[in-house]
Amino acid sequence: MPANVTVFVAREIVTLNHSLPHCTHVAVREGRILGYGGAEIVAEFGATLDKSFADKVIVPGFVEGHGHAADGIVWRNPYVGFYPRIGPDGQKAGGFRSIAEVVAHLKAEAAKLPDPTAPLTAWGFDPIYFEGRRMTAADLDAVSTERMIVIGHVSGHIMNVNTKVLAACGFSRDSNIDGLLRDAQGTLTGELLGPAVMGRAARASGDAGLVREMDAAAYRTYGQIARRVGVTTSTDLSNALSPGTVEALTTATAEADYPIRVVPAMQQRAYSVPDGIARIAELKRLNTGKLHFGLVKIVADGSIQGFSGRLRWPGYHNGAPNGLWYVAPAELEAIVEAYHAAGVQLHIHTNGDEASEVATEMVGRALAKHPRQDHRHTLQHCQMADAATFRRMASLGMCVNLFANHIFYWGEQHRAITMGPSRALRLDACGTALAEGVPLAIHSDTPVTPVDPLFTMWCAVNRLTPTGRVLGADERISPAQALHAVTLGPAYTLKLDHLIGSIDVGKFADFAVLDDNPLRVAPEAIKNVGVHATVLGGQVFPAQ
Amino acid sequence: MTVAIPLTVVGGFLGAGKTTLVNHLLRTAERRWGVLVNDFGAVNVDAALIAESGSDSIALANGCVCCEMGDDLGAALARLAARSPAPEHVIVEASGVGDPWRIAQLALIEPGFSLEPLVVLADATALQRQLDDRWVADTVRLQLAHAELLLLAKADLASETELAAVEATLAALRPGTKMRRIVGGAVAAADLSFPVDPLTRPRASRLQADAPGHRFRSWHWQPAHAIDRDRMRAVLEALPASVLRVKGIAQFAPGDMLLLQYAAHRWAYAPADAMAPTGLVLIGTPDLPAPAALQAMFDAALAC
Repeated sequence: MPANVTVFVAREIVTLNHSLPHCTHVAVREGRILGYGGAEIVAEFGATLDKSFADKVIVPGFVEGHGHAADGIVWRNPYVGFYPRIGPDGQKAGGFRSIAEVVAHLKAEAAKLPDPTAPLTAWGFDPIYFEGRRMTAADLDAVSTERMIVIGHVSGHIMNVNTKVLAACGFSRDSNIDGLLRDAQGTLTGELLGPAVMGRAARASGDAGLVREMDAAAYRTYGQIARRVGVTTSTDLSNALSPGTVEALTTATAEADYPIRVVPAMQQRAYSVPDGIARIAELKRLNTGKLHFGLVKIVADGSIQGFSGRLRWPGYHNGAPNGLWYVAPAELEAIVEAYHAAGVQLHIHTNGDEASEVATEMVGRALAKHPRQDHRHTLQHCQMADAATFRRMASLGMCVNLFANHIFYWGEQHRAITMGPSRALRLDACGTALAEGVPLAIHSDTPVTPVDPLFTMWCAVNRLTPTGRVLGADERISPAQALHAVTLGPAYTLKLDHLIGSIDVGKFADFAVLDDNPLRVAPEAIKNVGVHATVLGGQVFPAQ
Repeated sequence: MTVAIPLTVVGGFLGAGKTTLVNHLLRTAERRWGVLVNDFGAVNVDAALIAESGSDSIALANGCVCCEMGDDLGAALARLAARSPAPEHVIVEASGVGDPWRIAQLALIEPGFSLEPLVVLADATALQRQLDDRWVADTVRLQLAHAELLLLAKADLASETELAAVEATLAALRPGTKMRRIVGGAVAAADLSFPVDPLTRPRASRLQADAPGHRFRSWHWQPAHAIDRDRMRAVLEALPASVLRVKGIAQFAPGDMLLLQYAAHRWAYAPADAMAPTGLVLIGTPDLPAPAALQAMFDAALAC
């Protein structure tokens, strides 16, 4: 006897399926999509009708093509960001509009720690939005002079510490080391820049802080965060995939009520090339419906706002020296060739346009030696690429996943400081990518910016900065293109488009159930569309 | 008290010969080296020499130890210092694409280490090409920018004409910097250390004695009495580029003694034994100001 068939009826269903782009009913059996159409399919499939979404809109479940499950662990420390975020408990956190508000919140958090000398680490601070002044050690001394206090900035490149941490590090007014910021009188401000001094402070504080290893609870937490915003599949890009992490992943994703599918990417630099190729083959044997190993991530350069991205002429707008290669071009060539020849799919982090150009060149060289159809090697971030680089990517069969959220979060800074007024117009150039025929996804890089595909769509469609400026009006894409870029687009870059990303027979019954149709609301309202629930393999997860 | 462990950072672009040099040091074991490397797999030690082998470190029968650096250099250094016996001298292999001077600064802030001259290797057969490469030229220049000892590796693979050309290029990039040709990573411990550690070798005269014909000059300052912090800061800020390094014990008040380390216009203080002999050793290029001028410069740091 065949398994039960359920038909969900909705106000509207957007399928991303050419055979029937819009419908009202979708049939589900054994966790997969059995069919779609109008009211007639209830009888035709002998189904039970589920009317709980009758006034809602169903779209394919969102796919976060570049997120980090570390979003599930950072919340063990207080969040002190300028922009409010939704924590794993579903409650709003952060949204602090002044240094005083941050200090007050830290005082409240410190009061929860029974040991008056226990260290306190917080994350997500973003001083660029506070007019007038930067946070100082004195601000944090007001929280405590007894405990070590470390505040990580959202960029990941700067931290603020209190006087006790400065003293424990041996940093004083008499020290003169790169990365210790000072006021006009030469006194240390407690702001530390760069991995050397930041690492020293983090260790001196004695707090595991922001460098904890992922455990099963962290993956559970990330699953909760992601499903609330309509995500049914998320990458974890990247991950060293140590035995402990793999155990955590297999444990959490095997749980019947685990709400998302996870696609981890193996961090290339954690392994020698032969070991990495062997490791990824071994991990693929652990794949299940909710866990998909197979991707390898390479990081080619740093970040643009940290001035460590590799830029082509004319370099940084403010004259800062060019950034750092994380792997040099010759090394990248060898790594790309080896993994490519072994049949592995690569996701390559490139922020600056020089890094994108070089990564594209190296994929081209590997293809010349080892022709291979349908490799779908993907550039991640690729924030400054120009049309010529996108054309070359298209001709080589590459994909791109652009960091659309950057347009809102750092667009003004890129325009004023890093890229200048002209190149900033092509920041995360979704329009150019599509025009040149590069398969497109867009992403949040959570926890760098919050995972929220409707917000990411809004960024790519409107390209608005916090000042209300439209940054590169001609790079805007349509709501339909943006919806594709958070569903079928990323599914394609993950080689999972035969399983997820659209509503088609045989694919997983993964849906985002929305209060409104993001293709019909005003473009500037896309980010306000409510997520009512997700459906994963036919199983319903109410968002609230 | 614990004597600070000398720390040498070895930089240079990919393929410049850093690993070959590390392998040579470990094999010959002139000192009980503690070596931190980027790529553990590339270290090639005769299996017969290995006393103990782990996933990210090997201990050799000759007393040396070699560890993978991982993401946190400071933590790796702390682990090395905690070994028993501690290494006599630590070598840190900088990443082939990184700036070795940034790593060298860590030795200024990590307690328990004393920074030795920054060693940068250049591949005699590849340097010219790298400096012409539009993608890597700036990285290679940055790596050479603070070199205090330039080692021209693979000297046996280049002709005399090529070697002379590369040496001229390096001399133009880093005028006055000591240069040495090497083959097979063969350097002696004495080549790496200009003995400027006043804790173990307090007499400046050793500097001249140890290195006949080298291009460095040195000077020793024995303050008449306690030093004033702000004035000292002003003195250090104003030091000319010819001063490559300053190291020694500064007394700010009776019992308030700190170890000063200065290199390339950056400096830091670390706690020092109250009984240690005070005084600073300067080392610099041939352009170092005359002793009388240096004396006047530094005496300005004395407390009234």
